[in-house]
Amino acid sequence: MEDKLLIWKFKRGSRESLRRIYDKYHGNLLKLAIVLTGDMNNAEDVVQEVFIKFAQSAARFGLSGSLKSYLITSTLNCVRNRRRDDLRHRTQNLNEIEDLPSMARRPEQWAVLSEELERLSCAMTCLPYEQREVVTLRMEADMTFRKIAGLQKTSISTVHGRYRYGIEKLRSLLNSEVKV
Amino acid sequence: MKSAEDIKKYFQKSTLSTNSDRHEAIFETIQRAQDQSGTTEPAFNRFSFRSFIMKSPLVKISVAAVVIIACLIGLSFWRTTGSGIALADVLAQIEKVGAYRHQCNSTLTNLMEPNTPAKSHYTMLRSQKYGYKTVSDDPNDAVNYYSIQEKAGFIIRPKQKEYERIDFPGDKLTSLAQSQYNYYAGEIVKKILGCKYESMGRSIVDGVEVEGFRTTDPNYASQKKPSQVDVRIWVDVKTQLPVRTEEHITKDKTIWDFITHDYRWDIPVDAADFKPVIPDDYTRTEKDFFYEFAKLKDITEEDAIQGLKLYADLSGHYPKIVNWFPKLQYQWSEFEKSETPAALRLKEELKGLSEDDKAKRLSDALMPMGRINGFYYWLRRQNKDRAYYGETVTPKDADKVLMRWKVSDKEYRVIFGDLHVETDTSEKLAELEAALPK
Repeated sequence: MEDKLLIWKFKRGSRESLRRIYDKYHGNLLKLAIVLTGDMNNAEDVVQEVFIKFAQSAARFGLSGSLKSYLITSTLNCVRNRRRDDLRHRTQNLNEIEDLPSMARRPEQWAVLSEELERLSCAMTCLPYEQREVVTLRMEADMTFRKIAGLQKTSISTVHGRYRYGIEKLRSLLNSEVKV
Repeated sequence: MKSAEDIKKYFQKSTLSTNSDRHEAIFETIQRAQDQSGTTEPAFNRFSFRSFIMKSPLVKISVAAVVIIACLIGLSFWRTTGSGIALADVLAQIEKVGAYRHQCNSTLTNLMEPNTPAKSHYTMLRSQKYGYKTVSDDPNDAVNYYSIQEKAGFIIRPKQKEYERIDFPGDKLTSLAQSQYNYYAGEIVKKILGCKYESMGRSIVDGVEVEGFRTTDPNYASQKKPSQVDVRIWVDVKTQLPVRTEEHITKDKTIWDFITHDYRWDIPVDAADFKPVIPDDYTRTEKDFFYEFAKLKDITEEDAIQGLKLYADLSGHYPKIVNWFPKLQYQWSEFEKSETPAALRLKEELKGLSEDDKAKRLSDALMPMGRINGFYYWLRRQNKDRAYYGETVTPKDADKVLMRWKVSDKEYRVIFGDLHVETDTSEKLAELEAALPK
């Protein structure tokens, strides 16, 4: 109900409601983006981009479902777009990369990650992207397999398979951390 | 199912906290986007009081009377609170000071474990010109320096005999130091000024005549609103500089009590006060994401050899360098055109598999190669004087050094081209390396 009121005010140009939406969801989205990208700096840019587009959309914004789901989907799409652009522009052979820059600290980094989150995002980068997406949406966003299948434009059984395999792989990567 | 629950718990334990300065800066950008979209509401409806008042002589007289009464009430209030200090002036006074020192007492109480609060007491020295540093009462605690001259922050941990250096390019540290400069005094004043606050009148604190100010406005905390806020500041009525501050904030299940006191304003300092003192036997560390990952997997020499063997089996040669990151989809492209028996076998296995199953199979098959990277990275972090010669050494070069690292003052561990391993003296290694193709 609170979200519906916030959206109603946001559509009428309320700065305060944008602020409240930002305060309420930025942490969840940032964590989601970090786990999906394995890249702190990229994740910051993703979340900023999602909110900027959201802020610009007030006049034409229409929402039938939940605000949280909308923002999660926007984050997911933004990660996918960046990933596609990244693959398109990637000309550098990985053998030429001196060190992975992904978690290099910016001087003014937005977030400080817990050790668990650092390890988790690192382990997640070892999963094929589709599996990473399924595991993240299920674990972090509590999304149903049906909804994830819709987002991935695939069957529920494929999503189940990706989830099962992703969990097994993740468990083996985090085996010294996860109590079995 | 059990494993999924465990992973779920791991996700829940994985948290982050945001840097409030950057958080605000990002929001400003977002806010600008909203403003530029032309949908924001006007700051206020521009009702013209002037035209309303001037339309009627009766209204004119009434308004004049209200203004006079309001002035009288305001004057009376001014006198009875005894206040002569404006907080905005306090802020201006703080900003005039070159350097100051104060004590801090911090207590963090988790309401789930209220009997074991985390307490610390330390001294903070701040300078507009040189940076700032904190020194704890406990000699085992870390000392933090932020040196504008070095353009770096240092965290020195005596207990672990190690230190961390964080470099700030350009003038980032200068702006950081300036923004942090007033934090525990000026920043508190700024935040109180942005809230509803009241004067607590005059009293004596630490033998000094002060005026106190207090806010309980939840807006004091810029991010998620805390459930309880009680912030007080006492200001010297003569110098208009803070004497003591107290912040008591309850948020979720945590109570944060932060007291600053024993201020020494405008003290002489020089660059040496902010130059980090790092004993020679301290080692430099970085809280490093990959190092943690490498440790997590406990990657060994044998793991690295397995990874090298797999790479060689699939490609017929070793990776030119081993600092790459194991992103599986790119790795496979390295081997896709290879005609080695192992590559052909793998390609045969992949035939007819769906994209998903192919990804799974590749993930399983190529995963061990990531261990070369982890191992090599671990060697670097341990300052093991590592070297790798995959660009020139092949699996047929049984007597040539492929990888080496230091294991003691005089000895090195050496992996040869055929992947057998020896421990050799520095002298022997020098001979072996001299024989490597240029």
